[in-house]
Order: sequence, then C-alpha cells, then structure tokens
Amino acid sequence: MIGPLPTAVVIGGLVLAVVALVYAALNRIPDWGLLGVSGLVVAATVVVLVAATFQVVTGRDPDLVGEEVATALGYLLTAVLIVPIGFAWALGERSRGSMAAFALVCLTHAFLVVRAMQVWGLWG
Amino acid sequence: MSSTKSGFGRALVAVYALFAVAATARSLVQLGFKAEEAPVAYTLSAIAGLVYIAATIGLAEVGPAPRRTAWAAVVFELVGVLSVGTLSVVDSELFPDATVWSGYGQGYGWLPLVLPFVGVWWLLRTRPAR
Repeated sequence: MIGPLPTAVVIGGLVLAVVALVYAALNRIPDWGLLGVSGLVVAATVVVLVAATFQVVTGRDPDLVGEEVATALGYLLTAVLIVPIGFAWALGERSRGSMAAFALVCLTHAFLVVRAMQVWGLWG
Repeated sequence: MSSTKSGFGRALVAVYALFAVAATARSLVQLGFKAEEAPVAYTLSAIAGLVYIAATIGLAEVGPAPRRTAWAAVVFELVGVLSVGTLSVVDSELFPDATVWSGYGQGYGWLPLVLPFVGVWWLLRTRPAR
C-alpha cells in the first residue's frame, strides 16, 4: 500500500509500549519526549489511514469490499484515536497504573495496525 | 483508597474501554453487513459492547451513581460470559459465528472471562469505609 510505513508504525507502537512500561516501573509521568514520540506514531498512522482511504475511494483495490473495507478502516481509525486518548488518560494521575494503561493502549495500537494490514491482505 | 479510577483502576478502566470499543465496533460491522447470518451472536456482541461501555463509565466514575453502574455492569458481564460461554460449548449451533463471550472469551485470550472477576475484586477492594 505505502511501502514500509505500516511496519514502521507497528514498531513505533511497540517501542512506545516498552517505553511506557519502563516509565511505569520507574513511576515516571508522561513527559515531552513521550508526547513527541506518541505524536510521531499517531501522525504516521494517520498517513496509513489516509492512504488506505484513498485506495478505497479511487477503487484501486477492487477485491476489497463492504465488511472488509469497514473493518480495515475501522481498525486504522481506532488506532489513530486511542493513542491520544490513552495519553490524556495517563496524564490524569501520576501512578504506575496510568503508565500501564498507556502501555496497554500502545500494544493495542500496534495490534490494530497489524489486523488492518491482514484484513487488507497485505500481510499474511 | 475508595476511587475506582485510581492506581490499578487507571489500567482497568483502559482495558474495559478497549473492550467496549472492540465489542461495539465488531457488532456494528457484523449487524451492518451480515445480520442474517447469526443474529443471536451479533446481538449478543452488541449487548456485550453496551455492558463494557457501562462498566467503563462506572469504573471511570462518570455519571450520578458510578459505583452502582459499575457493579451492575460487572455482574451482568460475569453472568453473560459464564452463560454464553457454557451455551456455546454445549450447543455450538446456537452461535454459528463467534461473540466476545462465546467459548468463555477464547477468541480474546480468555480476557472476557478474567475481566469480570478482576472488576468485582477491584470494586470490593475500593469499597468506601462505612
């Protein structure tokens, strides 16, 4: 679809999850660095979503119809939305639980992008 | 501690929110595109989605009676996953397509089975002192 970008997005989500777990272990709160990396991951996911939507709108992938389109785009849209929502939720309280929640959200983000690519038939 | 959204509760609310999105979105797609294939299963998925939404709202302490909402949702969830799980194992023809709760949540790594027990434990642990 757009070369290696989905792979980079998945790796970014996994790296974010690991960093969030480290923050949880150290009892650290989200900082500008984590916000910046999260922003990059979200921006890259938006690019994948826009590219996928473009494919659908222009009919470049005629095999993909109905339920598959809704599922793949739904996965990508959710992946875009959950990271900022999770970050805001983690900011609400300085605790290990907050960062564990964000780590969980980042893992889910990576999983959603993988599932979207699978539904799209790009990844086995 | 009496807040259900503090400490471990931050992570628990996040898990419930993710399940709320997963179950609701899945049921909407299923009901929108192939409702006639397995109406019972897809309607159950929609109900599960609503229950997870209620649990998320209750545990995140949103609304007038959040603890009561959380209790109702978590108990409903427990009964749901046990009864649907058992029915789907005993008579698989009842559910031609999987729901969140069929096979005791097997498709979601059995988290749907574990989650209500964790929810009950957390609500008891954070019970306000009288």
